[in-house]
Amino acid sequence: MERPLYLGIDLGTTNSAACVFDGEQLQSIRTAGGETLTPSVVRIDARGNVSVGARAFRFLQKDPDNTRGEFKRLMGSKNRYRFSAANLERSPEELGAEVLMSLQKDVEAQLGIRPQRAVVAVPALFELPQIKATSEAARLAGFERIETIQEPVASALASGWSADESRGAWLVYDLGGGTFDASLLETQEGLLRIAGHDGDNFLGGRDFDLAVVDWLIARVAESSGIKILRSEPAHASAIAKLKVAAEEAKIELSRTANETTIVIEALRVGDREIDLIEQPLTRAELETISGPLIERSVRVCERLLRSQGVTQLDRIVLVGGPTMMPALRRRLEQAFGAPFGSGLDPMLLVAQGAALFAATAGIDARAAAQSAQVAKGPRLWLQYPAMTPDTSPFVVGRALDAGDGIKAVRFSRDDGEWQGEWLPLDAEGSFAGMMALKRRASSTFNVEVTLAEGRTVAANPAKITLVHGVSIGEPPLARTIGVARADDAVAVYFERGSPLPIRKTFTHRTVENVSPTADYALRVPIVQGDFPFAHLCRLVGVIEIAASALKSSLPAGSVIELTLEVDRGGALSAKAFLPAQDLVFERVEQLLAPATSPEKMSELVAGLEQRAAVLRGKAFREGARRAVAALADFEVTISSVRSDLDAARGGDQDAAEKARRALIECDGLLGDVEAANAWPELSARVYEEHTFASHWVGLYGNEQEKRALSQCMDLVERALRSRSASEIERQLRSMVRIRLSAYFRDPQSWSRSLDHAASESERATDPVKAQSLVRQGRKAEQAGNRAELERIVRELWQLYPVDQEERGLSFNSGVR
Amino acid sequence: MNDEELANNPFLVLELGATASRAEVERAGQKLLAQLAIGVSAAKSYRTPVGVRERDESKVRIALSALRDPEQRALYELWLSDVDGDRQVVPGWSGAFPSIGWRAPCTE
Repeated sequence: MERPLYLGIDLGTTNSAACVFDGEQLQSIRTAGGETLTPSVVRIDARGNVSVGARAFRFLQKDPDNTRGEFKRLMGSKNRYRFSAANLERSPEELGAEVLMSLQKDVEAQLGIRPQRAVVAVPALFELPQIKATSEAARLAGFERIETIQEPVASALASGWSADESRGAWLVYDLGGGTFDASLLETQEGLLRIAGHDGDNFLGGRDFDLAVVDWLIARVAESSGIKILRSEPAHASAIAKLKVAAEEAKIELSRTANETTIVIEALRVGDREIDLIEQPLTRAELETISGPLIERSVRVCERLLRSQGVTQLDRIVLVGGPTMMPALRRRLEQAFGAPFGSGLDPMLLVAQGAALFAATAGIDARAAAQSAQVAKGPRLWLQYPAMTPDTSPFVVGRALDAGDGIKAVRFSRDDGEWQGEWLPLDAEGSFAGMMALKRRASSTFNVEVTLAEGRTVAANPAKITLVHGVSIGEPPLARTIGVARADDAVAVYFERGSPLPIRKTFTHRTVENVSPTADYALRVPIVQGDFPFAHLCRLVGVIEIAASALKSSLPAGSVIELTLEVDRGGALSAKAFLPAQDLVFERVEQLLAPATSPEKMSELVAGLEQRAAVLRGKAFREGARRAVAALADFEVTISSVRSDLDAARGGDQDAAEKARRALIECDGLLGDVEAANAWPELSARVYEEHTFASHWVGLYGNEQEKRALSQCMDLVERALRSRSASEIERQLRSMVRIRLSAYFRDPQSWSRSLDHAASESERATDPVKAQSLVRQGRKAEQAGNRAELERIVRELWQLYPVDQEERGLSFNSGVR
Repeated sequence: MNDEELANNPFLVLELGATASRAEVERAGQKLLAQLAIGVSAAKSYRTPVGVRERDESKVRIALSALRDPEQRALYELWLSDVDGDRQVVPGWSGAFPSIGWRAPCTE
C-alpha cells in the first residue's frame, strides 16, 4: 500500500467518530452496524464481557449500574466507575480507551490496517490534566503515538478553511452533548490560529434534553399527581427513560415535524407505576423551552467577539448534533448575519479535521514497519512536510549506505511541469533542495540519483508526495502560566496564546534557610491565570523539594533554576535545578479534580450567594448595567448548580462533577464583577505606567521601543473599550518590559537602584552583608564598572525579607 | 540583556534577518527541523555575535513560536537591532551578518 493513511478521532462526550484521509480524499469509518457514530458508552456484563457503542447504548437505561456514558467530562479526575454485576471498577481513561479500541477495530475491518498513530481532538477549554488523561486513554488502547488537536481548529479545517483565506474571522459554534465552545479563528499568511475562545462547560445538548425532562416532570405531576424527583435515587431509572424520550422528540422536531407526541409506557417511579404517558409537544413549545439556553450561547459568542474587537464575521461553522435545531440556526443568523456553509455534517467535522491535521503533521496511522516501502535502489533518508502552506518547501535527506556511491539527487514532478537541479551530496552524504508544489493540490515527485560510475537510477523511495494546503499554527496556550513568588507576585513563564510546544528557564532565589534535617519542603507553586497576584490564579502544580533530599543546608538566596515546559498536547512538566548542590527535581503533581462532597459544595453555594447579594445591591444602587447582566448569568448558573447538587445527592457522580466546575465558573463570574469594581484602580495603574513608560522611552528609547510602546497603548485602549481586565494586565506587563528596556540604557539607572537599596539596608535579612554589598557597589560605581554594579544590586535585592502574609496567599511559595 | 538572551534571539537561531517574512521564517524552521531529524552536523550549531551556540529541535521550535507571535517578534526585532544599534554589545558586530551571508539588518 503506497498511499499514506491519516487517522483523525473525535472522542466525544456522547458520540465518537473516526475519519481517514489518504492525501486526497476523506472517508468516514463505519461501525459493524454501518453507522458513522459510535456512542461513547461502555458496558461490562456479569461475566466481565465488554461491549462498546451502539450495543452498549441499548442498555444505558435498562441497566445503568453496568453501563456507563458521558465519562469524557470526568477524564483527569479521580472518579472511578463501578460495574456492579462484574464487581469491577474502571477509570474514565480506561473507558475512553475502550471506545478508542472499538474505533481502531472498525478502521481495521474497513481498511485492513490496524492504526498505530492518530490525531485525537480535545475541547479548546480542556485543562492540562484532562489532555493528559486523553493521551493516557490512547496509550491504554494500544496507540504507539497520538497528537491532540483543538476541536475548533479541526472543525474549521474540515469545513474548508484554506491557505488562500487571506483575512476575516470565522466563528466555530460547537454545541456538543455536554459542553459549549465558541472559538474565533483567523489566518495570517496561510497560518491558521485561534484568536480567542470562550465557552460554557455546562451547556450542551443534554441541558436541552433536561429542560424538556423538567417540563415533562411538571406535565406528569399535573396529570397524575406523581412527583418525579431528580434528587431521589429510586427515581433514577424513570429520569433516564424521560431523558431518552426527550432527546427523541427533540430530534424529530429538528427535522420536519411541527408536532410530536412523547409516549412512555409503564414508567416505574419508586414503588408506583404510571401505565402510559402521552404528551404532545409542538415545535413552538420546544422553542420556548430551549430559548433561554440558546440565548446563553449567543451571549457567550457576543462576549467573545467583543473581547477580540471583531464586528464582522465571514462564516459560522456549526458543530454538534444540537446545531441542527432550526430555532438555533435562525437565532444565530439573526444575531451574526454570517453564512453557515452547506453540505457539512456537524457530527463528523471534528473527526474529518483531525484526519486532515494528521496529514499536516505527517502522522501516518500505519506502524513504522508497514509504512516502509519495499523497493530497490540506493536508499535515501528523506525529511519533508507531508502538507505545507509553503509552495516552495525544502526536502532534505541523506544517503543511508555510503557504499552506494551516490553523487547527486534530483527531484522531478511527475506531471512533467517542474524539474529540480541535481543536488550534490556533501561530505556527510546529505543534501537539501527546494521543491515547487502545485497550488492547493498534491504533488508527487520522482526521486533519482546518479552513481559514481555515472549511471542514473531511481532511488528508494522512488516517489514522494507533498500536499500544498493550510497549515495550522501550533495550538496556543489557553491561559497564562507562571510561578507564584513568595511576595504573591507571579513570574510569568508563558503568556496566554503562546504557541505550543514551549519551554522556558528562569533563575529564582530561595527565601529562607533550609537544613536537610528539617521537616520541611521547599515549595515552588505553578499557577495558571491572567492576574498579577498569585492568590487570584489557580494552582496547577507544585514542585516540592523535601529538606531530606538536600545534600547540605540551603541558605536563603540560593539560586534555583526552574524550567517549565508545555508540550503540544498541553501536558506541563517542570524541573528545578539547584546548581549549588547539583540536584535536579522533576515532577509536577498534576492537580486532580478534588472529590468535593455535595454537602461541602452546598456551603460554597451559600457563600457565593452572599457575595452575589452584596454585589447585586451595589450594582443596583450604582445602576451598573453590565454588573447586573453578569449577575443574572450567575443566577442562571447557580440555579443549575442547585439542581445538579440535588442529583449528586441522589448518587449522580457526573452531576457532582458538573456542579463542581459550575462553582468554579460562578466564582469566576463574581470575580469579574469584583474586578470591574476595581476598574478605577486598574485604569489608574494604566495611566501611571503609561506616564512612566513614556518618560523613560522618551529619554532613552530607540525607534523600535517608541513604536512598540505606541502599539502597546493602542492595544490597551482597545482593551479599555472592551473592558477586558485580563488583556489590560497582559499589555501592562509588556509595557513594563519596554520601559525597563529603555530605563536600563540610562547610564545612571543602576546607581539609582543602588541608592534605593542602600536606603533600606537595615530591613535586610542580613544587614551586615547588605552593608558590605553597598560598599562594594559604591566602588564599582566609582570605577564605572556597570556590569559589576548590576550584579551587586541584584544580589542586594535578594536580601530583603518576604512578608509572611503575602507568602501565605501565594501558596507558601519558597522562591522569588 | 545578557549574552545568553542575546544568543537565543530567534532570528539568530533561525539565521534570519529582522526583515524576514512569515513565509521565510516557516521555511527556515522547517528546513532546520528536517536537517536536525536526519542529523546534519551543520544544523547542530549556529553563529552568534557572542560565539557559536548549539542548536536542537526544541530551540528551533521555540524560535519559531516566538516569531509567529507578532508581539513577541516585535520585541526580538527590537533586541536584534539593539545588538547592531546604539548599544554596541559586541565590538565588531557590524561585520558578523554579512560574514554568514545575511543582508545587513535594519539599515533604516
